[in-house]
Amino acid sequence: MTDPRRWLVPMVWLALLLAATLGMGQLEGLFRWLESDSRQVIYARADFLTLLGRHLLVVSVAAALAILIGVGAAIAATRPWGRDFLPLVSQLASIGQTFPPVAVLALAVPVLGFGTLPIIVALLLYGLLPIVRNTLAGLAGIEAGVMEAARGMGMSRGQILRQVELPLAAPVILAGIRTSVTINIATAAIGATVGASNLGDPIISGIVNGNTAYVVQGALLIGLLAISVDSLFSRLPMSGAR
Amino acid sequence: MIDLIHVSKRFGAAAAVNDISLSIAEGELCVLVGTSGCGKSTTLRMINRLIEHSEGEIHIDGQQIRRFREEALRRRMGYAIQSTGLFPHWTVARNIGLVPRLLKWPAAQVQARVEELMELLGLSMEQFAGKYPHQLSGGQAQRVGVARALAADPDILLMDEPFGALDPITRESLQDELRELQARLHKTIVFVTHDMDEALRLADHLVVMHQGRIVQQGRPLELLREPADDFVESLLGGEDRGLKEAALLPVSQRMRPLSPRLLARERIGQHASLREALSLMLWRHAERLTVVDDADMPVGELSLRRLVGERSDD
Repeated sequence: MTDPRRWLVPMVWLALLLAATLGMGQLEGLFRWLESDSRQVIYARADFLTLLGRHLLVVSVAAALAILIGVGAAIAATRPWGRDFLPLVSQLASIGQTFPPVAVLALAVPVLGFGTLPIIVALLLYGLLPIVRNTLAGLAGIEAGVMEAARGMGMSRGQILRQVELPLAAPVILAGIRTSVTINIATAAIGATVGASNLGDPIISGIVNGNTAYVVQGALLIGLLAISVDSLFSRLPMSGAR
Repeated sequence: MIDLIHVSKRFGAAAAVNDISLSIAEGELCVLVGTSGCGKSTTLRMINRLIEHSEGEIHIDGQQIRRFREEALRRRMGYAIQSTGLFPHWTVARNIGLVPRLLKWPAAQVQARVEELMELLGLSMEQFAGKYPHQLSGGQAQRVGVARALAADPDILLMDEPFGALDPITRESLQDELRELQARLHKTIVFVTHDMDEALRLADHLVVMHQGRIVQQGRPLELLREPADDFVESLLGGEDRGLKEAALLPVSQRMRPLSPRLLARERIGQHASLREALSLMLWRHAERLTVVDDADMPVGELSLRRLVGERSDD
């Protein structure tokens, strides 16, 4: 269980990500070959480490809110008093995902102004569905006999939720969170269009100025970040799994 | 100990249990038997309030069960079910210690109780304590289920077809173990099954249910000899009735003292059933058996005529 080698792959990806973030300048020759017309080939309006930090912050805040709301809503909709809301909850979550994040941004900016807030709202809505859907599936997948025994032994509803339902549903819920976070790392880049400074900046700026090197730099870092986080998730201990 | 007084349960317009009255004495093993949908499981689950009864009263030790908090009531009763319901993410030891922990026993006491129960049910501590339910065979899992039900030493044990999913050999050995356990522990047990042989083997008090009503109740032999109607008679096995009755009577009831004649070669224990004696006679082509005690000392003899013969002595 505590084999240090299980963390090897995520560590390699993280190291690559860090190396690319700090050492982008070293690759100037490569980018000059790629984009020989431009005077400047390394994005320099902000350093990559700052952009990476902001990118992570936006995704983390959105993910934390999505987990809180998504898991909370799914739990509420499976309690005896909330069962009437079950169809509503799953429909709302589906609508959240079919609504394109760009459209959410367009609608959110007039209300929330430019900056980080609109992109957090967009990511939150976009990331809810996998979490809600997987939490519902995880809770529904628990064997009926286990629930019957838990009640029959005299566990309270809170004890059943904490000691039985959540641990048993945990692997499925975590898989939903993993999907949600990985998608949102990529989606967060569009925040750059409404003034949220993150790893989307070099991409947008590259598109606007016709500088392929900028686009590649932004895309490279976002890709590495997504792979690193995804591979970290895949190594998380699954308390309910065997 | 447990009294059901004119109890009914309705789901919408349909009555799953219809006006039953039943009194289960302390230390009695009461078996509810009947075909699927006869209301036997519903009756059991009304006792620990997994299902609320619609009419009538259910009393435990003279107190209405509705006066207890649901959880407190259930922690006083052991509960074992066919699918075992063991928590798959917990080890065997943790599963068994569930109810004592709910009752906030100190950790050392829980541990001691778990060890005691595992020994009681023949599960070796070092071999099973750290295993997870999916690593157990059906019979082992059901033993763990029974151990969990007994963990907080409840006076009452509710068992809903606990052995229904096991193969016949494992089922019989667990039935024997339950009888032995019961002889030692004297719990009040309510046991639901659709298997009449199991019911006859286990019951002190047999309750036959049909379409939500109790059609007959009493000691197994009474039901066998005087079934109330055709339904009970057919449930009790029609042409197998003689053998079923023989299975309930011990050899010691029909044997006679040793005669000066030569001892018969074939031997049978005095606690064996007449059915086993008859089977041995058929198998060995013997008309006479020597009955021996636990130390294998002859204490009497049983002839085929005595075996099938007079009923004056029971």
